[in-house]
Amino acid sequence: MKMLTKLAGAAALGALLAGGAMAEGLYAPNLAYRTGPFAATGIPLMNGQKDYMELMNARDGGIGGIAIDFDECETGYSTEKGVECYEKTKGKAIVTQPWSTGITLQVLPKTNVDEIPILAPGYGFSPMADGKVFQWAFNTPLSYWDGASILIKYLGAQGDLKGKKIAFLHLDHPFGKEPLPFLEAAAEAQGFELLPIPVGLKEMQNQSAQWLQIRRERPDYVIMWGWGAMNAGAITEAVKTKFPMENMLGVWWAGHDADLKIVGDAGKGYKSVSWSFPNPEAPIMADLQKYVVEPGNTQSNAEEMSGVFYSRGLVISMILGEGIRVAQEHAGKAEISPADLRWGLENLDITEARLDELGMTGMVPPFSTSCDNHTGHSGGWILEWDGEKFVKASDLIMPDSDMITPLEEKAAMEYADANQPWPVNDSCGG
Amino acid sequence: MLYRTAGQFKTSYKSDMALFPVRQDAVLLMVILGFAWVVFPLTASEFAFQTLLIPILIYALAAQGLNILTGYAGQLSLGTAAFMGVGAYACYKLVTLFPWMNPIVAILLSGIFSAGVGVAFGIPSLRIKGFYLAIATLAAQFFLVWLFEKWGWLYNYNASGAIQVPNLEMFGHYVAGPQASSITQYYVVLAVVTLMTVLCINLTRGTLGRSWKATRDMDIAAELIGINLMRSKLTAFAVSSYVVGVAGALFVFMWRGAAEPNLFDIPLSFRILFIAIIGGLGSILGNYLGAILIVGLPVVLGTVPQALGLPVSSAMVEHLNIMIVGALIVFFLIIEPHGLARLWALIREKLIIWPFPH
Repeated sequence: MKMLTKLAGAAALGALLAGGAMAEGLYAPNLAYRTGPFAATGIPLMNGQKDYMELMNARDGGIGGIAIDFDECETGYSTEKGVECYEKTKGKAIVTQPWSTGITLQVLPKTNVDEIPILAPGYGFSPMADGKVFQWAFNTPLSYWDGASILIKYLGAQGDLKGKKIAFLHLDHPFGKEPLPFLEAAAEAQGFELLPIPVGLKEMQNQSAQWLQIRRERPDYVIMWGWGAMNAGAITEAVKTKFPMENMLGVWWAGHDADLKIVGDAGKGYKSVSWSFPNPEAPIMADLQKYVVEPGNTQSNAEEMSGVFYSRGLVISMILGEGIRVAQEHAGKAEISPADLRWGLENLDITEARLDELGMTGMVPPFSTSCDNHTGHSGGWILEWDGEKFVKASDLIMPDSDMITPLEEKAAMEYADANQPWPVNDSCGG
Repeated sequence: MLYRTAGQFKTSYKSDMALFPVRQDAVLLMVILGFAWVVFPLTASEFAFQTLLIPILIYALAAQGLNILTGYAGQLSLGTAAFMGVGAYACYKLVTLFPWMNPIVAILLSGIFSAGVGVAFGIPSLRIKGFYLAIATLAAQFFLVWLFEKWGWLYNYNASGAIQVPNLEMFGHYVAGPQASSITQYYVVLAVVTLMTVLCINLTRGTLGRSWKATRDMDIAAELIGINLMRSKLTAFAVSSYVVGVAGALFVFMWRGAAEPNLFDIPLSFRILFIAIIGGLGSILGNYLGAILIVGLPVVLGTVPQALGLPVSSAMVEHLNIMIVGALIVFFLIIEPHGLARLWALIREKLIIWPFPH
């Protein structure tokens, strides 16, 4: 009984003080996952994001003269916890970074009511590119459909795809199914045969059935849309069945250094499309060393910091940082509102020159967004595993926007129709 | 002291068997209902609605459905989440096929589909018992989740394979979907949960409940005294699955707003089973206590370090949370293996005879 009273007391105290305790500055929460089944891939990304904001605060005193209160709310990649975090942070947050397609799907309809921008760089729902319909959602710099398009374009450059067979090995989950509409359209247009092979969440680590099918069907290429434990499972299985690695390609989330290190040399030739690339020579890396690593404010380590995922974390926070900066200039004040930030994210212009200024040369392709284009469609590189690390295997490849844009508009309208009343911003030009 | 029963005389058999033989119980319940219906809605924040009040009620309802089957009728089931899924998908199909349908009617109807599926998977219970039956319900769990993934018609051939709750209107107010306000959703959930709880209490006290309990305690003896085991087991499956299905529909329509098939996978089944076991098998109150402990407490604990201004990282809070809740579960089960409801029953008994120890 005493115990219960104490608990009740603690609960009441918690509820009372929850509103009171907060740090100064712009509150930018991140729905992180450093625990749970996807922690291994989450930690380098979260560290990269956090370290970039630490650097801004330590070196420049924040952005536009105001400190960024970059906070993490742990979700463990669970949608339920994600929604809890969203509710907990939305009161004072200027942005939501949901970090999972499941959480994105949950909070996407709510943002129209709550009016907080969702920043989902390189994940989420591809039709979010249509800024007229998805006014508050941003998936800069590249959507999944763009990624699939780049992969098909790259394969097309290796030889005519007509009559070829492409297996699409994907997680049987909203994330994995995401590029299917595009790939189906592309198969029809270019005359290749698409063979979707789903991998259930429970089969991630044991894909023998799927690879048996691949061996039987003998596809020319395998495109993999995997995440977490699925990647390592697929790559080791591919090595075991002696599938030619140079014919296996993955999405950017399937290009994790640690997954390939398991097979080492045997993984040589495996490719992944990416919109970010680690550049150890970039000035920002030296600054991170000086302002964040040396004072002991990082949770990362040297090996992780040279990897693809850490540098992707840096790029993601850079996109948010630039959005804040543009918004501050437009609003004429440092303390911006979520609506200001939305304007900022809609008017990003990340040029080569700006990347040089930021000290991030070559870490992300240049891109720009607008009111009706919330993605930016930066294009991406094909990275190849050389046995030790990922190296660039192609120049920048642009997605086939002529084909993607009508698909996006159609899917966006379907979404809006299914969720009536859904406000559409018709004032966007273009 | 608080529970002094002196002066409360029972002059008829009816009053002796009343729902509240002790007046204080009725008063306590009125106070709790007063809080649930009036005080909480007036004072709760958006955060409290979305992470405490609504989920606790829905989880408690799901556990209550399971408790009918496992606690009252003694049939162990590991397929609760799948039956919730049936309710949720049925509700989704109902509101998309018949958009004019009243959402609450759709939620109550969707339980019928779940009850049907529950009875179908309950048929093996006539031949097998105990752990073997648990395996049979596990088959339901795997099969139904597989079905939710593969049968495109269920999710209207949505590209993402997930179901998304549309905005649903009732008497000029949005009750489901992103436009609905938390307080409306809370009242809908509370009304449905109250209705279901009244139904469950009365069913478990009546003929049906007694035949379930007899089946649970010793099925051969029950058969000998004339209880039709088939009827008893299958009605338990039907009623349980109905309540679970309604909970599933509420789960998606009044709280989550969207659902993908793997949401209804086995971790959710286990979570609900834990709520029922820790709350107390064979009790209605226990489901609420269990849900408060398993669903509510972690949320409250998660806000404590920030509220006290302790510099603990959020990943650390999560780890601590898992440890504390785990330790509490072990603690409660050691001091009272029959669950929280029994713990409350003992406290109440002590209060009635206070200040005498016997």
